[in-house]
Amino acid sequence: MGAYRHFPILIIAVPLVTAVLMPALSYRRERLCMPVAAAALSLSTMLTFLLYRVVRPAADGYLSYHLGGWDPPWGIEIKVDFAGLFMLSVICSISLLCLLYSRDYIGRELEGGRAFAYYSLFLLLSASMLGFTATGDIFNMFVFMEILALSSYALVAVTGRRNAVRAAFKYLLMGAPSSIMVLLAIALLYSATGSLNMAQLKELLAEGAYSRVVFASLVLMVMGFGVKAALFPLHSWLPDAHSIAPSPISAMLSGLVVEVAAFALLRLFLSVYGSGSGAVSGTSEALGVIAAAGVLFGGFMAIFQKDFKMMIAYSTISHIGYIVLGISIMNEQALTGALYHLLDHGLAKGCFFLCAGAFIYQRGYRRIDELKGAARRMPMTCTAFALAALSVIGIPPTAGFISKWYLIWGSVAGGKYLYAAVYLIGSILAAAYCLRVVYYMFFVAPPPGVWEGGPGEAPPLMVVPVWVLSLATLVMGAASFVVINRLQEAARLLL
Amino acid sequence: MDRLLDNYHYAAAAILFCIGLYSVIVRPNIIKKIIGLNIMETSVFLLLVSMGWKDGGIAPIHGGGAEAAAMVNPIPQALILTGIVVAVSTTAVALSLVILLYRQYGTLDVDRLMKEEESESAPAGAGSGEG
Amino acid sequence: MKKVISLCFIGALGVLLLMVMASMPRMGDPQSPTNTRVIDRYLEGAEEETGTENVITGVILNYRGYDTMGEVTVIFTGLAAVLAVLGRERRGRIHAYPDRSPIRPSIIVRSAVSFLLPFIVLFSLYTVLHGEISPGGGFQGGAVLAAGMFVFAAAFGLWRAGRTVPPWLRYAVEGAAPVTFFLVGAAGLVGGAEFLTYMLPKASAGLQPSLRTWMTLLVEGGIGAGGAMIFLSILMAMAREEDAGGQAA
Repeated sequence: MGAYRHFPILIIAVPLVTAVLMPALSYRRERLCMPVAAAALSLSTMLTFLLYRVVRPAADGYLSYHLGGWDPPWGIEIKVDFAGLFMLSVICSISLLCLLYSRDYIGRELEGGRAFAYYSLFLLLSASMLGFTATGDIFNMFVFMEILALSSYALVAVTGRRNAVRAAFKYLLMGAPSSIMVLLAIALLYSATGSLNMAQLKELLAEGAYSRVVFASLVLMVMGFGVKAALFPLHSWLPDAHSIAPSPISAMLSGLVVEVAAFALLRLFLSVYGSGSGAVSGTSEALGVIAAAGVLFGGFMAIFQKDFKMMIAYSTISHIGYIVLGISIMNEQALTGALYHLLDHGLAKGCFFLCAGAFIYQRGYRRIDELKGAARRMPMTCTAFALAALSVIGIPPTAGFISKWYLIWGSVAGGKYLYAAVYLIGSILAAAYCLRVVYYMFFVAPPPGVWEGGPGEAPPLMVVPVWVLSLATLVMGAASFVVINRLQEAARLLL
Repeated sequence: MDRLLDNYHYAAAAILFCIGLYSVIVRPNIIKKIIGLNIMETSVFLLLVSMGWKDGGIAPIHGGGAEAAAMVNPIPQALILTGIVVAVSTTAVALSLVILLYRQYGTLDVDRLMKEEESESAPAGAGSGEG
Repeated sequence: MKKVISLCFIGALGVLLLMVMASMPRMGDPQSPTNTRVIDRYLEGAEEETGTENVITGVILNYRGYDTMGEVTVIFTGLAAVLAVLGRERRGRIHAYPDRSPIRPSIIVRSAVSFLLPFIVLFSLYTVLHGEISPGGGFQGGAVLAAGMFVFAAAFGLWRAGRTVPPWLRYAVEGAAPVTFFLVGAAGLVGGAEFLTYMLPKASAGLQPSLRTWMTLLVEGGIGAGGAMIFLSILMAMAREEDAGGQAA
């Protein structure tokens, strides 16, 4: 294993330290901020993909790193298993693309004095998600979650506009109590077991002592992470925050941050509390009902939105419902589908928000009505959007189809035919709101005065990430066999 | 139930948590909401530190002949050190947002802010403004 | 109406929490899970393994040092967030921070602060350096130092505070805590041991304990200084007035 074993900590620490050096850097040369940030994230991405050679979905195929040389439970453990590595690679790649997109977008949106804060917070956002995914200690998970939360509150408000500040404050007002609930849950779990290490917790919790305390901690965890993942009915902060934030940040928030919270639920249910425990089975039944409601709610609300980014935000609520519903079904196929949906939702939703950003950057158009006839002047962006929309609806051969296939297969295999129906209805709703926009873009003439003259396509540094994300949904669908079997194996091991 | 009287620190923490949550949810003044948040955080710290108590315990510092077996649990104290810093940072971010909100809207009352939100979004359709 | 629903919800939550508290292990029970698992090694072995007599310092800096690295990152994120929202002063310009209070602090206040301030700074240094053998530590000392600077700013005005602690010093030291953590951690990496092992693997075994102590002190100093500067920067960002244009410059 040699040098590989140090990769996890480098993946986390390099963006972190770069973020901290940004203010000092900007004192001398402001223009270097973005390239330095991009270099740090590229290094992390490279190291993450290199780790695929070492981490396998087998019982001993994970990478365990003991910080400070202390063995767990006395020291903190960084643990990268296959599902975690999958999530790490999703986070790294999408973060890098959104960072590249940011240069032009933020150059115009923010007055120069604040750019260093933006890049610093962006790197902290990415590094905290990486640290959150890779850790094997629940308190460490809480610390990284707080870095994630604080940087996301600030990034929503970074433009300084009235509604942005208000949206950020609403997000904070729901997010901060949820963090405290997670801390309370950790405290309760610690009092019942005396350990903070996830692997040790799984063994100790299997013994079943202090079951009432453990059950309470599970409920608090679900409530806390439910707010962060925008699970219906705790979603009310999301539409404003995601639609008003700068577009690359919306892409990160919808594509990565809420997903990481859903991934945390997966991690807790399976690697800490254990799928066999009574607390988990009871909670997952209830969670299934809530998630199904979220799928339908998000889908319906998306259809009635007039603002483009609001529509995409409600679609996120719907898709997080897909993921959590898959987790709650608790079988191998549904889990594989949920894990793969983390990838394809990140790609597709990231692409959606970056497209929306391109329209805003070039023309200032935010409403769906203003997108009529967009394809004439911005054909590349619109085609990318259409491709990503296929993935959101779940049409073969996109990645979205693969994940929905597994999710529906899992529901049927688990005897939950109602949930399979919910997934199908979700796809129909997605078709309604996505295809309406595609139809407007390509087949409807623009209203007078709109789309005449003026700029065409967005600058290359914005169009390229949009296209990479969009093509990736296609490629990861057609070539999914590369990873899906290993993912299924990993899901089986987690259960 | 008698254990509740033994665990009176924990009960106090639970009550404080609810008081804090009440302040966050019900009070219209933003500063009071932030104070409520702080009360919630402090209650969890109280819970954590009380969990570390051992009957007849002494501070976990060697030197001066202190016996290791009688020392209280050091882990919760380490956890709340981190927790206090997190709480301070959250309060700082929340207050900076409040400063901007006050400059832009001139009010610290959440109900009035919501009314502004409705009046802003009514003419332009859902979600006006830039992003 | 909303108030009634919220009260009912919170009341129910309170009752449930109290029931949970009643089911928890008795407070102070030496046989409870928290008091029997894991901590024996900390309590007995901390002095030899970490070189600190204060077990808690050993836990936060050595055994669970990664969490403390995360903590200093959180406070830095708080600063970055405040700067992102409120902006920072332009290079080369010290803004006049207007003094809004109608009364200037009296001569009593100003003399008292002038007298006390050196002792406060000294006490903060003492707390930082003594963290290993008595209650104290990096963050605690940093908080005392920050409190001293706040008192100075309150008595003499922010403009004087901004001149005494110039921007370049603040910018340079703000990032000190995570950076020292990273440097110390990477030192362990260089020789092949794990990140955040407090040793230089190339040095001889006899030198290791004092190297470890020096590294721990370096980290504590970094945390203290960094924390204090971050608090001061947050204060200055929050207190700075907007220009006439209505935007924070």
